[in-house]
Amino acid sequence: MSTSTLPAAAAAAGARPAKTPRPTRGKLRNKRAVAILILPFGLLFAAFYLFPVIYAVVESLQVIKREGTFGIPHLEFGGLTQYVLVFQNTEFWASIARVLAFGVVQVPIMLGLALLFALLLDSPLVKGKKFFRLAFFAPYAVPGVIAAIMWGYLYSPSLSPFQFVTSQVNLLDGGTVLWAVANVVTWVYVGYNMLIIYSALLAIPAELYEAARLDGASQMRIAWSIKIPLVMPAIVLTAVFSVIGTLQLITEPQVFKQFTSSITSTFTPNLLVYTTAAVPNLNLAAAFSVVLAIATFILSFAVLRLTQRRVAL
Amino acid sequence: MALKNLRIAAVATAALVALAGCSAGGSSDSSGSTASDCAASTGKVDLSFTTWVPGMDKVVDIWNKANPDIQVTVSTVPNGNSGTYQNFFTQLKAGNAPDLGQVEYDTLPAFRVQDGLANIASCDGVQAAKADFADGLWNQVTFGEDNSVYAIPQDSGPMALYYRKDLFEKNNIPIPTTWDEYAADAVKIKALGGQITNFPKGDVNWFAGLVSQAGGQWFDTSDGTWDVNLTSDVSTKVANYWQDLLDKQLVSTIPGFTDQWNNAYDTGADWTWVSAVWGANTISSGAPSTTGDWAVAPMPQWDAAAPTSGAWGGSSSVVFKGTKHPAEASKFLLWLNTSTEALTALNTEANLFPASSTGATLPALSEGVPFYGDQKIYELFSEQSKVVSPFTWGPTMTQTYSDVSDGFAAAIGGSGTLLDALKDGQTKTVAALQAQSIPVK
Repeated sequence: MSTSTLPAAAAAAGARPAKTPRPTRGKLRNKRAVAILILPFGLLFAAFYLFPVIYAVVESLQVIKREGTFGIPHLEFGGLTQYVLVFQNTEFWASIARVLAFGVVQVPIMLGLALLFALLLDSPLVKGKKFFRLAFFAPYAVPGVIAAIMWGYLYSPSLSPFQFVTSQVNLLDGGTVLWAVANVVTWVYVGYNMLIIYSALLAIPAELYEAARLDGASQMRIAWSIKIPLVMPAIVLTAVFSVIGTLQLITEPQVFKQFTSSITSTFTPNLLVYTTAAVPNLNLAAAFSVVLAIATFILSFAVLRLTQRRVAL
Repeated sequence: MALKNLRIAAVATAALVALAGCSAGGSSDSSGSTASDCAASTGKVDLSFTTWVPGMDKVVDIWNKANPDIQVTVSTVPNGNSGTYQNFFTQLKAGNAPDLGQVEYDTLPAFRVQDGLANIASCDGVQAAKADFADGLWNQVTFGEDNSVYAIPQDSGPMALYYRKDLFEKNNIPIPTTWDEYAADAVKIKALGGQITNFPKGDVNWFAGLVSQAGGQWFDTSDGTWDVNLTSDVSTKVANYWQDLLDKQLVSTIPGFTDQWNNAYDTGADWTWVSAVWGANTISSGAPSTTGDWAVAPMPQWDAAAPTSGAWGGSSSVVFKGTKHPAEASKFLLWLNTSTEALTALNTEANLFPASSTGATLPALSEGVPFYGDQKIYELFSEQSKVVSPFTWGPTMTQTYSDVSDGFAAAIGGSGTLLDALKDGQTKTVAALQAQSIPVK
């Protein structure tokens, strides 16, 4: 690595020749290199991940105290007071249930489509692969907010270019708006997930296909018995990402508030956190975030465990 | 080796926790709410000013040219409830709030409760400015306390009825002067395929304006604790009135200030809007194809014998806690909100309806407005501002608004009523106050 470090390391090692025999010197040098290489990541990780998490936990353990109508607020240690409020908050659990229902429907559809498109791109029968690969991936390149605004206009009963549909069926009604959001999320992320699965498909050695063809397997059979089992780890990865993404849903509902009265300020867990922080009740918002993070963690692990067991079989 | 690493990690974690603890507790040692001494700074002073008044930078340019020693830098941001209040609160907590900011009257108590406002009562000329403002407005910035001034009023939002004069005349529908007539007209307009107005679930402050016009109050601090009452007889009356219009589908339910909403006015689907004085520009920019078709009348009344109006919005300018230059900041705010020079510029640039009585005499405010068929609408609003009923705002209006708004959304969707929304808002507001350990009855 940097020229100043190596002589320094050598000098440090040279000062204590007895204690550091030659073979370990290389090891030590490696360690320093590793430390230096990790440092930028480590610092950023601490500053933007570890520290905020710890800060949120600290915030969530505090309560505000004051005296009088306009008393000066000060923070005190409140133990698990905020967490009790979290578990008593019906809106929070309703929002979790809402995104879980969303995930149970939307994630399989999205990953199913992603897998289908990846297999089609990988199949020798399809022409214009480069075009389709780009076309499927393009929505992911559209920023989430822009995508939501665009779809908002498409859905809008009075402004949509497809008014002959939207004026008859209100797609942004209380009962349908969740699925209107699901459609936007699917539109954006199918191409992204497809690309992950597709690159896993490209890594499959050609000999396997050759052997299968010699055994008389059709393209369908190859896809079903060779490709899908071999890209299963990639599918699991996309599933975990999707589960996390589902629990963190905020952009699309937040934008859709501009288009419909059906999205409340507690529609998704993250919206609720945002609303609570705006009050401002930062301590309760922090407690919500911590609980949400733990729930996400548990759910992601559950998905991993469940699917990995199946892959192992 | 592993043990040593673990120890390092533990130390690092402890350090981080300590750091976090520090910054979390940092805001607790601020001074009391008494008027701080307002000493002038020496040398050149730079002030930052965050606002969402369009064209404010041009108004501030006038000040900056005349005052080389007090230079003000403007940042223009989205309006308060669209995220700026949240930013202010966060900046206050982090200790890097701007020197000056814009806060609507309904959110002043929230900023005071969070200890975000500097008391500028002892600054030069601030107490004297009282004479320049209506008692009701001055009361909003002093919270009715002696030796307290937490903001200088900038503009006010007296309400009136905007209506499509051409459509009312063409169809021989009388202009409603009472809420009963308004509901009767709604039926006639519905028969013609239009809708008398829109009920926006998100504009709870608008609804509060309607409640205040009817003589209601949501909050009271007169006996030293917060008394929350969103479901008084008056609030119930207003909620039931609009629920009836919703049930009969006489009003549209589009979210306010959106493109769909503009479209509803631009195409003539909605005929009236009970709104504040600043709404004049909202209509003219949102519904350009209806130029000349609109007129303004006083709000429909509950009691025609004793006409009243409500207020919606209106902003004050505040000096945030933590500024190093309260004297210079107040000096600038007094110029901005009480001098003819600044008020004229604000009116030209942003069509602001000044709160100060100096501003009420601006020549621009006695001219006819072409969009409203050359009606002298600002004279009418001046008259209305004299009968605005005073209203006390709560300390967590952001929360009250969002909870009531969620209930309104449910009522629009057919589950529950507007009154249920107010009941729910009541419960949640009391809970929110308790969570901040604000004394509540």
